[in-house]
Amino acid sequence: MKDSVTDFLPLSPATLHILLSLAAEDLHGYAIMQEVARQSEGKYKLGPGTLYDNLQKMIQHKFVQELGRRPGDDDPRRRYYRLTSLGRGVLAAETDRLGEVVREARLRLQTAKPRRA
Amino acid sequence: MLRSLYRRLLDLHPPGFRHRFADEMLSIFDQAREKRAAAGLLVDALVSLVRQWTLRPEFWQDVSPAPTTQAATNGIPTFHTIDPFRPRTAAVIHGLVLSTAVFCLTCFAIRYSWIHVLHVRIPEVPWESSQSTQPNPGSVATPTFEEPGAITQQNPIVQDSPAPTSAASSRLSQASVDARPAVEVARRPKHRLVSKSAQTSDLPSNALRPQDQTGIAQLEPAQAGPQAATVASATVPVTSADLKLDPAERQRAINGAIANLTKYYIDPDVAKKMADALLAHERNGDDDAATDGKVFADLLTRQMRDVSHDKYVVMVYTAIPMPENPPTPTPEEIARYRREMAEDRCTFETVKILPHNVGYLKLNAFPDASICQRTAAAAMASVNSADAIIFDLRDNPGGYANMVALIATYLFDRPTHLNDFYNRGENSTEQSWTMPPVPGNRLADKPVFVLTSPSTFSAAEAFSYDLKMLKRATLVGETTSGRGHMGMGHRIDDHFTIRIPGVKVINPISKTNWEGRGVEPDVKVNVADALATAEKLAETELQHKK
Repeated sequence: MKDSVTDFLPLSPATLHILLSLAAEDLHGYAIMQEVARQSEGKYKLGPGTLYDNLQKMIQHKFVQELGRRPGDDDPRRRYYRLTSLGRGVLAAETDRLGEVVREARLRLQTAKPRRA
Repeated sequence: MLRSLYRRLLDLHPPGFRHRFADEMLSIFDQAREKRAAAGLLVDALVSLVRQWTLRPEFWQDVSPAPTTQAATNGIPTFHTIDPFRPRTAAVIHGLVLSTAVFCLTCFAIRYSWIHVLHVRIPEVPWESSQSTQPNPGSVATPTFEEPGAITQQNPIVQDSPAPTSAASSRLSQASVDARPAVEVARRPKHRLVSKSAQTSDLPSNALRPQDQTGIAQLEPAQAGPQAATVASATVPVTSADLKLDPAERQRAINGAIANLTKYYIDPDVAKKMADALLAHERNGDDDAATDGKVFADLLTRQMRDVSHDKYVVMVYTAIPMPENPPTPTPEEIARYRREMAEDRCTFETVKILPHNVGYLKLNAFPDASICQRTAAAAMASVNSADAIIFDLRDNPGGYANMVALIATYLFDRPTHLNDFYNRGENSTEQSWTMPPVPGNRLADKPVFVLTSPSTFSAAEAFSYDLKMLKRATLVGETTSGRGHMGMGHRIDDHFTIRIPGVKVINPISKTNWEGRGVEPDVKVNVADALATAEKLAETELQHKK
């Protein structure tokens, strides 16, 4: 892959949440939606249209790999998706970036407090 | 109801998206238990529909279906279809620009090519700077083979020439009509801008206008019929009879004639003979009786001819004093010449394709290429696809060397040396070459036949002789007239002018020319049979080629 993972940053919230939901295990679309809702404690709800639109782009960028259906699933229409190594790299890079943002933000917030005092 | 609506919305999605995700989205819809949630999914599907059709053109096309049959089992290799590919916008624009450019270039190439195939295009030849012979105002050699006819024959010496065809004289411009017998009027290339040549005289002796104008009235009867020569010669003395010559005037004329002969006549030895003869006659008192200008001029002419046997050495007397500066062609004269050429198709009397695809051109002069270049090019283009060419020069009295070179250009695939023009007075030589090959011309390797007759004269003889020497043409007909020198008038004083052949054509191959002898044809047949003979020869040669 000639593109560096940093070329994809920053990620949109939907992309970030989907990558994050797939980080632990392979999931189907509905499970991804539920996982995103769980991660955000119900504050970020992903509709199927947005989900599959993002999945489509992520498959194209090879962040995510489509695995197909699993026999014996409750609903045979479900397809499973897996994070690729690129997707994992992108997620890690985004996490680092966000970590820097958070660290920087905390630093700024801490240094601002005394002035108010 | 909501489900079918949702399904309909999914069906409206682009095929690429629908085939891949519609089932899963419907599956999710089916999981929604509450109506409120279902309504939210409907709104989501609507937004998705708009988004997919407006923002995701790359997914409009149906792509390979997902690997539905493949189990997503860990450890088992999976197979992927090729990802849908959409080129970058910049690449699309580049491709568009490039395609347009290639298309335009191809169109131009085709058009350019067709011009070459369909039209023989004569380049705008810079005659003034070309290597070939051109009308050069500074040179006496190049403009025409036959110099201004207006002073050629004031006397009736040429009565031994072929029978006159005075019809030709009626077409002459006023400027070119002179007091010569109709014989010479007819023989001189009528398609010539006379005063243009006159301006090339290296001496201010070529002042013909007054003579021309007086001569016109005298020549009126001459133009009416074959008896003109006699009539004209009889009328001239009437004009000049009033003026009596004194010994000083005679002496001045003789001295002037000798000086000019010595300087300009093409053969120095013959010039000396003529000079000696003139002096001897003077010493003997042979000239003393001649008090009439015309009679005296004829006498001197005869004295010179007796020793030189050159009928083109002529002493001319004009009753009205001639200006020292030669006249230049007026715009009206040039326009008249152009008009005459346009009316006469530049003397290309016939241009056609004969049976067996033999091109035939009957050319009745070699007009000035600077005026007739397009017509000549069109004529040659119209026979470009012929398998052989016949040039009919049987009625061609000559003309301009530049037209000789222009037409010969079509017969060679490289610039070819045709002739040298040696100018005795200037002791200079000017070369005549064909032009660089004409693009699209196909005649360079085709058999050429030239029809000749005793009327083929001057530049027409040069054309025939050059092609014969270069072994480029077969000459068919009778021996030509035999005019390989060019004369020029030299003013002696107000009343006397001497016309002296001062320029000689020298062929680079034979190192000589056809002066006096004429150009002998390769195939000698009667003039009347020349065309039929040439056609047969062409047919035979073409059959041999096949």
